[in-house]
Amino acid sequence: MKLVRDLPRQAACAAVLALVVGAGWAGAAVAFQESPQLKALVDAKKLPPVDKRLPAKPLVLAPLQSVGSYGGTWRTATFGGGDSEIERSIGYTRLVRWNPEWTEVIPDIAESFEVNADATEYTFTLREGTRWSDGEPFSADDLIFWDEHVLRNKEITPSPPAWLTAGGEPVKVEKLGDYKVVFRFKAPNGLFLMNMATIRGADILAASPAHYLKKFHKDFNPEGIAALVKQAGAADWVQLFNNKISFPGRWRDVGRPVLDAWMLAAPYVGTSQVVAERNPYYAKVDTAGNQLPYLDKVTIDVMEDTQAIILKAINGEIDMQNRFIETTDARPVIVQNQEKGGYRLFIARPAWSNALLITLNQTHKNKVLRKVFSDKNFRIGLSHAINREELNQLIYAGQSKPYQAAPREGSALYDEQMATQYLKYDVNLANRYLDKAGLTTRDAEGYRLGPDGRRVTFAIDVLTGSPIQSDALELIQRYWRTVGIDMQPRPTERSLIFARLQTNENDGIGWVGGGGYDFLGLLDPKWYFPHEYESSFATAWGLYYQNPNDPNAEEPSEEAKKQMDLYRKVQQSATLEQQLAAMKELLAITRDQFYIIGTNLEPDRVGIVKKNMRNVPDVIPSTSFYMIPGPVKPETFYYEN
Amino acid sequence: MAGFMIRRLLYMIPMMFVISIVTFIIIQLPPGDFLTALTARLASQNETIDPGVLAGLRERYGLDQPLIVQYWKWISGILLRGDFGQSFDWNKPVSELIWSRLNLTMVVSLITLIFVWAVAFPIGIYSAVRQYSVGDYVATFFGFLGLAIPSFLLALVLMYFSAHYFGLSIGGLFSPEYMNAAWSWGKLWDLMKHMWIPVIVLGTGATAALIRIMRANLLDELNKPYVDMARARGLSETRLLLKYPVRVALNPFVSTLGWVLPHLVSGAVVVSIVLSLPTTGPLLLSALFAQDMYLAGSIILLMSILTLIGTLISDLLLAWLDPRIRNG
Repeated sequence: MKLVRDLPRQAACAAVLALVVGAGWAGAAVAFQESPQLKALVDAKKLPPVDKRLPAKPLVLAPLQSVGSYGGTWRTATFGGGDSEIERSIGYTRLVRWNPEWTEVIPDIAESFEVNADATEYTFTLREGTRWSDGEPFSADDLIFWDEHVLRNKEITPSPPAWLTAGGEPVKVEKLGDYKVVFRFKAPNGLFLMNMATIRGADILAASPAHYLKKFHKDFNPEGIAALVKQAGAADWVQLFNNKISFPGRWRDVGRPVLDAWMLAAPYVGTSQVVAERNPYYAKVDTAGNQLPYLDKVTIDVMEDTQAIILKAINGEIDMQNRFIETTDARPVIVQNQEKGGYRLFIARPAWSNALLITLNQTHKNKVLRKVFSDKNFRIGLSHAINREELNQLIYAGQSKPYQAAPREGSALYDEQMATQYLKYDVNLANRYLDKAGLTTRDAEGYRLGPDGRRVTFAIDVLTGSPIQSDALELIQRYWRTVGIDMQPRPTERSLIFARLQTNENDGIGWVGGGGYDFLGLLDPKWYFPHEYESSFATAWGLYYQNPNDPNAEEPSEEAKKQMDLYRKVQQSATLEQQLAAMKELLAITRDQFYIIGTNLEPDRVGIVKKNMRNVPDVIPSTSFYMIPGPVKPETFYYEN
Repeated sequence: MAGFMIRRLLYMIPMMFVISIVTFIIIQLPPGDFLTALTARLASQNETIDPGVLAGLRERYGLDQPLIVQYWKWISGILLRGDFGQSFDWNKPVSELIWSRLNLTMVVSLITLIFVWAVAFPIGIYSAVRQYSVGDYVATFFGFLGLAIPSFLLALVLMYFSAHYFGLSIGGLFSPEYMNAAWSWGKLWDLMKHMWIPVIVLGTGATAALIRIMRANLLDELNKPYVDMARARGLSETRLLLKYPVRVALNPFVSTLGWVLPHLVSGAVVVSIVLSLPTTGPLLLSALFAQDMYLAGSIILLMSILTLIGTLISDLLLAWLDPRIRNG
């Protein structure tokens, strides 16, 4: 732990003491401190004393830089109605969570966890004395309630989420003690903990406060439920219940018991401001025994326009945020206005492998295109024809570097050859490969002809909402024309692209590539093998992996089948080492197949943080799978006066 | 007059029915459904949705049923129970989402309308009476300028200025401290402080058009013999002007009343988005993108009803204003 020089002496002494004592103290010896706000409530007899509100052994968080002081508001902004910013900033509490560096899964609300050898049993030990924000105790019974009456209730959950199912059966939670439960799966489910650390995991604890939810559950309140449904204006009791437990409805339910650092005070509705206030029962303390969070309040302005969020930022109305203001086109404005807005920058490192991937559908319904796209020489030729350095200068302001669709440097899955093969810009080489692919005849305009004697022409769909990707594709269209290939960029509305993908109607798409960081590759492997219809380099094979009986599915190649088996192996492994080993094997096939043409690495993005806000890291992984900024412990952020 | 009213009201019934069907068809036209749009939206941010959850949602929302069943579910709910259905995207009853926004939309629209009239009316009269004077040219110049500047750009510029020089918070209709507060004089004043930007932005374009219309109509009237005759009888210039020529020239003001509402709602979408106004425009747009069909359908339906009512009101006003229409 680094100690900052101008730390209040008292806190510094306490911190040193804590270091001496060690983080895991015996409990009774140390008195906890609390925020002045809560102290006043305790003195007024409106709240039990802090020692009664905290577990005997609360989770001790070591602040990144220094022990903080209480007070202040963290202001952020979000966009539109269904965005998950609120989940990431004030809802990142689970049984287990990501560590800040995003290299492992660590306990959060659970004190500890164990996994058996075949990844079918996960045992969680809870902290005795953990309480919901309304003061009710949190125990094994809450998790049993969730499992039996929410997950296994056919009305509330008509089909259980895939991450909670294995061997065709949803997870079964068993009570081993008041503070000990085991999650049993019928078959191995190796990615269970990782999935819990993502946005999905929030659903468990949101549906756990039995003492609160029973009132809205038909099985527990058969008489009174009809009146409650009517009062809430819900369609039926299932909807009423779902609005209490699922996103985004649960963020409109002020008074809902949570285990988060802040609890809702003003709901998430329309264009307005969401307000969350300190949870007096929050079960975490810093190394000096101060109950967290340091900040009194969090406000989230719900905006309709991302430009307005950027204006807010440069106006100094946002304290710590990267989403919505980190776009390439906003960067100059954000960087220039640091003085005026009173903020400094942190690096939000995209977890993506690529700023723009180009996929060519090898399972195309058109026989000719299918044959052309399936030839690896064709793809290598096109890759060599792209002037990535020029793209980098023109599109990414020189902030990027040429890169294939591969894991990032520094990750465990990194493979140098995979990341750097076929990057060289060389028109002659490109032409040689395209000739090798059998496209030797050209028409009067110099375009190459396919095996059917017609010009090889295809469209690449790109999001209308990503002008930067469209610009890059326009340039690539020019590069490929030089080597005699006719590609048409086709800016398309999102839903239409997806409707085409679901029925295997796509030529190919230009998209941002996932899988740059290890966990992202494990959890979202769609760019590495045909995992679903979104694996647009072989849509029909992806459909086959999800459901072999799909009318648009086709039997995959031998290599792709091998990859599918390897991914199943990943899902069935119990340790991260085994999972990464299987994933490496899978990626070796990806490398040799060269399914996707990558262009450039996504440049680092910048987020802003108020000049006097402390305990915010300088580099944070940025992706929804990581739940930025949740894992970097916003409950330890504070303002230095 | 009574017969005219009843006839008009009766016409509205089949009209509404046709509108509701067309609305529903239009919303179903884009490929895919709400869940396709949801998956696509998540994927564009590199998020995924659990396939099990997706299947559950499809069943719960009844998206696997035939179109006619879905339409009947929606329309019968409205007719029999006044229930506009549920918004998928918000997981809330549509009516809850719409009413608060509709009220603010009406407030903004009405204030804008009053602003437009208050500016266009006197300037239009002045421009006509003092044709080709310096004042006429200046007024016309600014009017055209207002027409020419894209409104969203004006909105961004005004937003920047108000933040930079007056320290107002960015966007919306309320400051953060009043955003979730109950109505009070303080909140009303806060609303007024924010209101001027959207009012000016939305009003500028319409003002120019109305100034020109007023000017042209009044010029037509002023050259008619009855004006000379009134002047010869010694009527004061003001009285003479307001008694007949202006009244006749008012006709276009009144007849556009019916279109003002839909125009402000649809034409103001971009401005409302830029300014983050809590009005129906942005809600409709996001509902269309998300293919949230009950929400989008209900908004379009309500807008159509408002347009019909607006047209009716303007027809009645015209009849009251102009005997030629009443007895024609």
